[in-house]
Amino acid sequence: MNRFLAAFAGLAAVAVIALLPLWLGPFYTRVIQFFFFSAALAIAWNILGGFAGYWSFGHTAFIGIGAFAAAHFVMQFGAFGTGPVSMVLPVLVAALVCAVFAALLAYPVLRLRGIYFAIVMLGVAQVVSELVNNVNWFQGGVGVYLPSPVPSGMAPEDFYYYVFAALLLVTFLLSVAIRRTRFAYGLLAIREDEDTAMMLGVPTERFKIAAFVLSSVLVGVLGAVYAYSVGYFTTYTVFRLDFSLNMIVFCLIGGIGTLFGPIVGTAVMLFLTQVLLSRFLDIHLLITGLIVVTITLVAPGGILGILRRRPRRAKLAAEPEAERSA
Amino acid sequence: MSEIILSGRGVTKRFRGLTAIESVDFEIPVGAIYGLIGPNGAGKSTLFNLITGYYDPSAGEISFRGKSLAGVPTFRRNQLGIARAFQISKPFPALTVRENVAVGAMFGSPDRTDVEHVTTEALRIAGIEDLADRTAEGLTVGALRKLEIARAIATRPKLLLADEPCAGLNPTETAEMVSCLRNIRGHGVTVWLVEHDMKAVTSICDRIIVIDAGRKIAEGTPQQVVSDPKVIAAYLGTPVAEETAPGPG
Repeated sequence: MNRFLAAFAGLAAVAVIALLPLWLGPFYTRVIQFFFFSAALAIAWNILGGFAGYWSFGHTAFIGIGAFAAAHFVMQFGAFGTGPVSMVLPVLVAALVCAVFAALLAYPVLRLRGIYFAIVMLGVAQVVSELVNNVNWFQGGVGVYLPSPVPSGMAPEDFYYYVFAALLLVTFLLSVAIRRTRFAYGLLAIREDEDTAMMLGVPTERFKIAAFVLSSVLVGVLGAVYAYSVGYFTTYTVFRLDFSLNMIVFCLIGGIGTLFGPIVGTAVMLFLTQVLLSRFLDIHLLITGLIVVTITLVAPGGILGILRRRPRRAKLAAEPEAERSA
Repeated sequence: MSEIILSGRGVTKRFRGLTAIESVDFEIPVGAIYGLIGPNGAGKSTLFNLITGYYDPSAGEISFRGKSLAGVPTFRRNQLGIARAFQISKPFPALTVRENVAVGAMFGSPDRTDVEHVTTEALRIAGIEDLADRTAEGLTVGALRKLEIARAIATRPKLLLADEPCAGLNPTETAEMVSCLRNIRGHGVTVWLVEHDMKAVTSICDRIIVIDAGRKIAEGTPQQVVSDPKVIAAYLGTPVAEETAPGPG
């Protein structure tokens, strides 16, 4: 019954999402497209930061690497196919480049724990960004260009709306699927206490690397598609500290380590900042900061943390009754 | 003598200048309950850390079921069948008690079937089934100790290293823990425990190894060990009799 309801709700959501752009204006279609993009990024970050407890402060590096990998592939080898199909190969190449880069980086970087890992990732993002900007071959300073994959007759915002909706769905389902596996339990054990996890037989090194690579690849794919959506971009279009921070903040607000937290956090924060506060541009950052501080203080477990606390208390109160009757 | 599950030969661990464990030999037979005692700082936890691979020995060799453990990483040792319950409980606080134990069941053994059954069984043996759906955060000391044991045995060990399983427990809880450890041995698991509670140690152990200042000073049955002058000296100091310090004044 529950499963049936969930399937029905899922279908209804897909229908609503599919039809929304028909009556939303281009502005709100873009806002929601940006929501899909940001939520998917937050989910990807959450696999490493939420499940394994390794908070990366430099995940924007993979947005940038994905974007530039796709652009350079197209510049070197040309676009294969036209329209949406032309995106496929460059995006896959972006994923591959991110995977290789993350795998090479993983071993030295993941030896660090906690705040040290966070800071090193901040540095990695900075270094990669500077390299892309200053090494002529990358052309990060002058900017690079990706040919538009938008089918003729379709508005770009509608096209990217659907593409990012699909990417969000895939990322979310992937994260749900992972959460049920032994791999996820290993990551959670690493997050909670890495030494103990090791003593219980968790191959911590291997699992951390796998989580890091997976998270990076997802971010790289999103970065490459984002690059398509902006068309022409420079280093600072894609290597952006605020991208890195948003992934963390959105997870924090929604509930780090949960499945829905990244989506809820992104929805709430983007609604507040892009919709409600768009009329108060002068104090918009101030209020955003206040919201983040307040939620973190009031609800360290995020919005989902608050929602979850209530029913659990009720359940605990009910338990002794059940035991007595059993 | 029966088959040996764990043996050490000349096991030594130096931390820079300090020798924490010096040339310790031991042989633990299959199915036994062994005790490891010694004054604070004698090197008991260090010895366990060497066996689980948290540290590498500076010299000597540790063998498990006849095979050297040199170079075998910690997680692999667990999969081979060496489990450890910590002195200071190290639960995964945000996970439920059941999830805590399930991690042990999922990773501790090459056999990955039946995680649920193994988990439930481990919870039952440790006597914490009723706490299964609570998060590990905020459990009492007694419950945390039982969780340590449950998680360790969920890895389906052949050898359980229990580091002070009775520390901080009241007499009732201590008695429960002792019978729990017996029960674990009944399931074919060899147990080696560090314990300060002498009543618990002497009531449960077949044999006891005593170390002091990193050296093994005695080994024998509980009765032999507690009457050994060297052991008494290590715990209480040698009688000083005549050569006392100058009187007050």
